[in-house]
Amino acid sequence: MPAPVFETTVLPHLDAAFNFARWLTRNDAEAEDVVQDACVRALRYFSSFRHDDGRAWFFTIVRNTWYSRISRRTSAADATPLDSRQDGPADAALNPEMRLLQRDTVGRVRQAIERLPVDFREVIVLREIEGLSYKEIATVANVPIGTVMSRLARARERLLAELQTVASVETLA
Amino acid sequence: MSCEVLDQDLEAFVDHELDDEGARRVREHVAQCEGCRVRVAERQMLGRLIRSVPYRTAPDRLRERVASQTSRSLMTRRVFTWAAAAAVIVAIAGGTALLRPSMPDRGTIMAEVVDGHVRSLMANHLFDVQSTDQHTVKPWFLGKLDFSPPVVDLSSSGFPLIGGRLDYIDGRPAAALVYQRHQHTINMFVSDDGRGASTTIERRSLRGFHVRHWTRDGMSFWVVSDLNESELDEFVGALMR
Repeated sequence: MPAPVFETTVLPHLDAAFNFARWLTRNDAEAEDVVQDACVRALRYFSSFRHDDGRAWFFTIVRNTWYSRISRRTSAADATPLDSRQDGPADAALNPEMRLLQRDTVGRVRQAIERLPVDFREVIVLREIEGLSYKEIATVANVPIGTVMSRLARARERLLAELQTVASVETLA
Repeated sequence: MSCEVLDQDLEAFVDHELDDEGARRVREHVAQCEGCRVRVAERQMLGRLIRSVPYRTAPDRLRERVASQTSRSLMTRRVFTWAAAAAVIVAIAGGTALLRPSMPDRGTIMAEVVDGHVRSLMANHLFDVQSTDQHTVKPWFLGKLDFSPPVVDLSSSGFPLIGGRLDYIDGRPAAALVYQRHQHTINMFVSDDGRGASTTIERRSLRGFHVRHWTRDGMSFWVVSDLNESELDEFVGALMR
């Protein structure tokens, strides 16, 4: 089997890396910087890339890059201002009233996720949006699988409690 | 099973991380416990809500910055690699002129399948025919292939068919059928196998992509995606039904 090639191992996951970084940083510019730094690191360490999951490997580097950036700052929790950009276009098939309702729902879901502590936020994003297995998440977040499960359980409890009122429009999701 | 037992398995059940036996026990309990049925449904609804938040893709500016960085850094390394490769070729040509080209093994074909998947995403050449209608996609392959790939839409199972294209696997023309699950793309390559024996499903992973392979009705099937393994198995299961 040929040696893995950077362009086909790491670069196809650039979108996923950006989306993940965006959820970690909650800020567009910061996410771009994190992913760019992560690429530099990934290139540098690529010769030591052994196991065969390029995506999880890249996620790990993105996460570590971000952690090392915020550890240089005094207050990690509020280091980066939250972008308050509005959501993209809602589904055009819906009537205007439904569209407003849907946009509102999406906005509230995003806010609820962004308000989660980062330990919870990352497992929710990796599981629900990226579809990583528990084992992969454990590798990326560098915690035991049991911890992944308990964080997921608690994150979901919090989100469900917060979104209880959204439940009435659940059919739109 | 009691509700307390389910507490521990609830997340794993929702996330398809339980083994068959565990999942069966949860299903049996949920079938007769209204409270737990609600808890499972709430979590599934939450998952759908979370995935309804638009995916943020890398801005072009970032893509360009990364591309120029990569090419600069790889340039130096490449020069050495090519020099080494050239030396090897000279050595082989000199020493083993009698070497016969051998049949590619399945590992090589799998690498090809994964490359085909990556290429389809990178080059933005996902479809030759873009349609969610299996009755449009299937006839499109007529006359382009000397076999008839099965084309089924799996929207009802949560894997909508989004198109198809002509591709090559193992030097032979293949039908590539494209399915979608949330933000993930699934490529299914179907080629004429020529041998006709049916095999069981082989599960492999390469470079972060999961691959499923089997042969049936004289055709060889390769399914590849970055989707997690359990959902990919769900896809294969829906396909086999």
